[in-house]
Amino acid sequence: MEHEEWMKQQIKELERKSSDYRQKALYQEFLKLIEEQYKRIEQTEGEIDGRMWSPKEWG
Amino acid sequence: MRTLIIISHPTLKESHTQSFLQESLPEKGTTWHHLEACYPDHKIDREKEQQLLTDHDRIIFQFPFYWYSSPPLLKQWQDEVLTEGFAYGNYESELKEKEFGLVITTGVHEREYQPGGNEEYTISELTRPYQAIARKCKMILLPTLLISRFDYMSEEERKTLLIRYRQYVSKVSGFTLSSKEDWFEKELQTIGKINMSDSDQQLIDILITQMKENRENLDDLNWTLQEMKDLG
Repeated sequence: MEHEEWMKQQIKELERKSSDYRQKALYQEFLKLIEEQYKRIEQTEGEIDGRMWSPKEWG
Repeated sequence: MRTLIIISHPTLKESHTQSFLQESLPEKGTTWHHLEACYPDHKIDREKEQQLLTDHDRIIFQFPFYWYSSPPLLKQWQDEVLTEGFAYGNYESELKEKEFGLVITTGVHEREYQPGGNEEYTISELTRPYQAIARKCKMILLPTLLISRFDYMSEEERKTLLIRYRQYVSKVSGFTLSSKEDWFEKELQTIGKINMSDSDQQLIDILITQMKENRENLDDLNWTLQEMKDLG
């Protein structure tokens, strides 16, 4: 989570500093890509945890 | 990869959408080919057009949606350029395994193109002839990029479109997150660093490294999950 917040802050700052329209667009969408990466990491970790704690595995 | 963008638009200069797309193009690797500008008399040079097709790997038809089809010059271009013996027939098509995509602009909202919407039919249904062309010429069809109601888009939506369009003409095809990561890495290393200070350029490198570490982490997690599924 720390990594995620730090990355998002840095990307937003790069977008704010930029005066080039294409570059601003690139950072706007790069931020979405990073959010998607962390979302998938969280989902996959959740699924692994779910399987580890499944009653089916308690036998 | 070399991308040929064949635009058919009778009044290109008056189109905000087309100007925006032209401004959005990657700095290299694409050919912007406006048919009405090349052939104001509608006399198409077939050999030149076939050579252009041969010289590129990804072919895109880009046009405003006029009565569920293209403007007339693109249809004429298809009739005269996609000939038997070149595009299809009992031999290897010159277009075989080239990628083929559509960039369609429309003044109608995207949501209207569905059963129950004002247009009733989906864009996929209405663009069947192009899908048939791709199949007959043994081309690899790309999902259509539909741009609806550009003039009503917010600034944020336009920036999203700019990146989607750049990806459409330059990214390895497919929807995978990893293909997007690879594309972003290249873009960040180039236009991402323009006019940035040395320290910001170093920061961009760090962000790219972190993005790659996230990818490795995700690959490891997916591998673990697959192992669990296989054992389960």
